Amino acid sequence: MPIEITMPRLSDTMEVGTILHWHVKVGDEVSAGDLLADIETDKATMELQSFDDGCVEQLIVSEGNQVEVGTIIATLSEEGEVVSDTKEVIEVPAITQEVPAVTQKVSNTPQAAPTPTPPTGEQRTGQRVSPVARRLAEEHGIDLNSVQGSGPSGRIIKRDILQRIDTTSETTSAAQTTKVVSTDVVPSTVPVTPVNIAQPLAPTSPWQQERTEPLSNMRQIIAKRLVESKQTIPHYQVTMDFDMDPLLEMRKTLNEQLAVSGIKLSVNDFLVRCCALSMATNQEFNASFGGDCILYHGPVNVGIAIALPEERGGGLVVGTIRNADQKSLRTISQESSYLSKKARESGLAPDEMGDTTFTISNLGMFGVDNFTAIINPPNSAILAVGAAIEKPVVRNGELAVGHEMCATLSLDHRVIDGAMAAMYLQSLKELIENPASLLV
Amino acid sequence: MSVATAERVIEFRDALREAMSEEMRKDKRVFLLGEEVAEYNGAYKVSKGMLDEFGAKRVIDTPISESGFSGMAIGAAMRGLRPIVEFMSWSFSLVAADPILNNAAKMLYMSGGQFGCPIVFRGNNGAGGQLASTHSWCVESMYANIPGLKMAIPYDAYDAKGLLKTAIQDDNPVFFLESERLLSTTCHVPEEEYTVPFGQAIVRRAGTDCTIISFGRPLHFCLKAAGELAKEGIECEVVDGRTIRPLDIDSMVESVRKTNACVIVDQSWSFASIGSEIAAQIHAICFDDLDNRVYRVHSDDVPTPYAHNLEQAYLPNARKICEAVRQATYNV
Amino acid sequence: MTNLLTIDMNMTNTDTNTAADMESIEIRKDQLQLTPAAVPDKGVLLGFLRQMLLIREFEVRTMQAYQNRLIGGFCHIYIGQEAIAVGTIAAVNPDDPIVLAYRDHGHALARGMDPKYCMAEMFGRIGGCAKGKGGSMHMFDADHYLYGGHGIVGAQTPLGAGLAFATKYEDEVINGGKSNHVTLCYMGDGALNQGCFYEAMNLASLQDLPVIFVLENNRYSMGTSIERGTSMAHDLRVKSEAHGIHHAIVDGKNVISTYQDFSSIADWCREESRPFFVEAQTYRYKGHSMSDPRKYRTREEEANEESKDCIDILENFLMEEHDVTQDSVKQMARQVKAQVLQAVEWAKNSPEAPIEELYTDVYTDVWGPYLGTSKPEMLRGEGSEQ
Repeated sequence: MPIEITMPRLSDTMEVGTILHWHVKVGDEVSAGDLLADIETDKATMELQSFDDGCVEQLIVSEGNQVEVGTIIATLSEEGEVVSDTKEVIEVPAITQEVPAVTQKVSNTPQAAPTPTPPTGEQRTGQRVSPVARRLAEEHGIDLNSVQGSGPSGRIIKRDILQRIDTTSETTSAAQTTKVVSTDVVPSTVPVTPVNIAQPLAPTSPWQQERTEPLSNMRQIIAKRLVESKQTIPHYQVTMDFDMDPLLEMRKTLNEQLAVSGIKLSVNDFLVRCCALSMATNQEFNASFGGDCILYHGPVNVGIAIALPEERGGGLVVGTIRNADQKSLRTISQESSYLSKKARESGLAPDEMGDTTFTISNLGMFGVDNFTAIINPPNSAILAVGAAIEKPVVRNGELAVGHEMCATLSLDHRVIDGAMAAMYLQSLKELIENPASLLV
Repeated sequence: MSVATAERVIEFRDALREAMSEEMRKDKRVFLLGEEVAEYNGAYKVSKGMLDEFGAKRVIDTPISESGFSGMAIGAAMRGLRPIVEFMSWSFSLVAADPILNNAAKMLYMSGGQFGCPIVFRGNNGAGGQLASTHSWCVESMYANIPGLKMAIPYDAYDAKGLLKTAIQDDNPVFFLESERLLSTTCHVPEEEYTVPFGQAIVRRAGTDCTIISFGRPLHFCLKAAGELAKEGIECEVVDGRTIRPLDIDSMVESVRKTNACVIVDQSWSFASIGSEIAAQIHAICFDDLDNRVYRVHSDDVPTPYAHNLEQAYLPNARKICEAVRQATYNV
Repeated sequence: MTNLLTIDMNMTNTDTNTAADMESIEIRKDQLQLTPAAVPDKGVLLGFLRQMLLIREFEVRTMQAYQNRLIGGFCHIYIGQEAIAVGTIAAVNPDDPIVLAYRDHGHALARGMDPKYCMAEMFGRIGGCAKGKGGSMHMFDADHYLYGGHGIVGAQTPLGAGLAFATKYEDEVINGGKSNHVTLCYMGDGALNQGCFYEAMNLASLQDLPVIFVLENNRYSMGTSIERGTSMAHDLRVKSEAHGIHHAIVDGKNVISTYQDFSSIADWCREESRPFFVEAQTYRYKGHSMSDPRKYRTREEEANEESKDCIDILENFLMEEHDVTQDSVKQMARQVKAQVLQAVEWAKNSPEAPIEELYTDVYTDVWGPYLGTSKPEMLRGEGSEQ
């Protein structure tokens, strides 16, 4: 039996991966530990190493192609095994057969929905498409999921696409009718999950389109996860202003003292510590919705959203500061700047970005006063932070000039109610406005 | 005048002889040697009359000694002579494998460009008809593996003459593979001078649904199959590669891009063959134009049998080609 | 045509091969009588000595370079056999083709190839005679009508017949004259057991080809002594007589008699347009190739053979007959050594072939990945016959 090599799961959120480069070719002898391929995950480029000795029999997924985790991407023949005649040309399946399994490690990756995720039209099983059919479908904007294959084992062949092109041009009617979901793939008894990033909400007319760019892996994952978040989590927002003068004053003093060590604390570093410390009295903020339960997490892992530069394809990643409630400002600052730098320059490793329990998104440095953020599942809350702005404030009944910062919490109402949110913000305010306690 | 020319129809064997004689008249360096080429007038009457015209010094009978006379001809070619070596059958070239492969094909390279080998080896290739395995060799797949040689396989008398003249004029060793079964076939061959260049495939029949690629004798089966399939509404494009080295893969790809389906008909065995090579190249160059994998029709992977029924079952034929085309076009 | 009684006697008498002072070349006397050419003068003999010293020094430096990994692959050393290449090549015209087996360095130098091109070829450098594409076993030189060393045992014998066919064809058919060349086709005793040699002899005899098959009988084909590998080893004349080709034995250790006998034979072949089979008896001092431990023969046998060294024989002759001094011989040896060391340096400094060379010389024309062909540096500007 050949040894099957599947698309590995190389990050916590990875559902699909792209083969960037094969380091082996068919017929190569490989040993355990040998580098097989570079794989682009949703967030990073990873190395795939062989676990077995053997001879590369087939490279099923070619470079540049994306498949779901678990898809067989290559096979090795074991020592002494005769490489079989490839009578069956294995088609690259666009999508794998199984929905990514729900992991037992509930503490980290709970289900996002109360009911088991049904197979959707998008997750069609064992789809086979001939190369020219795939190309034609792409050229004519035809969703392969909506085409019934007439070839062997249901392979979609040129004829199927040509027929579709014919019928489409005949039915000049409403756009909705072009979206045909074949019933043998999605049984009518199974509710269709509304999450479908492949479908834009409204059709664009041709003159609007200057150019089309396929979604990068990261853009796909952002689209998918945030649509999922916004559509399945009952979001609401609570906003509070914070007097920033004491914190800014202390930051200035500390940075003067720390300058010799090359450390520069950012406002965000303070906020990470504030948010982490506030968890102690507001445990729902360090929890996830688990369908029929609330999952309370042990470690307090605060995620910080990091925007990536254009030259790295844009998008954003969330870096993880683990056990943030137990770390000093200095440590948080060091980790935070390391994560930002690495994310922008070379990308983060999976353990540098998974397992967050709460996220902070700060657009203050861009001059934004106030905004709201979408929750980063499986978190229950995210804090959207604006800039600390100098403005007229009332202090002790008198008008004065001071710095205020506006922060908005987005919350999962299934876990956190309004009053709890208010209490958390109060606790945050207490820490921010009396920052000395952050030093102990 | 042109009407009269258009009407000239000659046999394949006559076309071969015309090519050789014309080149020998033009260039004294060209001579013919082989078994029974002179006094017997050729085992297959290809060289009939040539002894009379050119004399025994240029049309040379050799003993049954392929290794010796092939090597001798190569030595002569190293001096700049341009021998035409007739193998009564390419099956017999196997005993000359060392000179034709090690010396002819590699001489230019091994000598760092000092000594070329302008030589033509020609003769019958493929099953003749109940000759059994030792005499029914299809050497194209085996020999085409070797860089340094060229290989041409004519389909009709016109190409036989045009390609052979190109072969004789070529400064490199050319393996010229004829078919005993085609020697008596006829077609229009113009009176005036012409050559058929190497590396230029030709479409023998145009079609839109499936490309059939072949060389030499099996093309006749391909055309027959294409006729049958047309009745079923499947229009095949039959591409004659003409030469294997150089291989005109561009023309083949161009056809496949149009039809999106491809069947290769190769009378040699399937394993590591012309068929597998072209299939690999097509998959590599125009994968995204394929609606199905490339199908191949070969001789069966067994020694050539003697018994008539077994030999018929073994060889590629129109029925097998039709079957492959139906598969390739999802018409099953 | 032949005397049956004589054949029987020869086939049973094992003493007839003894090389000795002869008044005539030992050929089947009932068929052919040839008189050896005169002994060359002092100047010519000094030229022979210089060439033999050059070949020996070259081969010593070749072994050294091989051990220093400047040379790869198979490498066959000619030491001990120098008199044959020098004596036979001197006996023919410079435009008579020669073709060789794989122990070919000595013949290339004797034919006039500059040692630097020969050494660079073995170093796999672009300056080599075949641009580093052939290596030790494949020395080609179009300017000197050297049609290659050939690596497959016996493969050069039909080529030799073909070269003779070509000169005859050129002389007679193309130029309308009389055949006026003779081809030298060298072979080792191992090639006696290859079928193509007999096909080549058969064709050469049938076609009246002026080719001399020069058997350098050094008594071992790789590690197998001739007695173990070749039937009728004691009387090799039967090998050619079966094809109606004359056979002669020359003393391959004596460059003077080799030259005398061979001149006469070559002249006869040229004149008659007929093949010949010449057995030059010699001994290979070194192993078959660089990796041969020579376990199949005794050191005593080697010492005995080396005591009858071809260079010593010529030196002694020159000292006795022409008053050549030891010092002048040493001086010549020093000059030769300097020339060879210069060749080694030149070869070392010759660049590796550019990668494009991988795709040149596969075909004469340019198509696909192939880049056409070009002549090696050795021939540039000097032109060749092709």
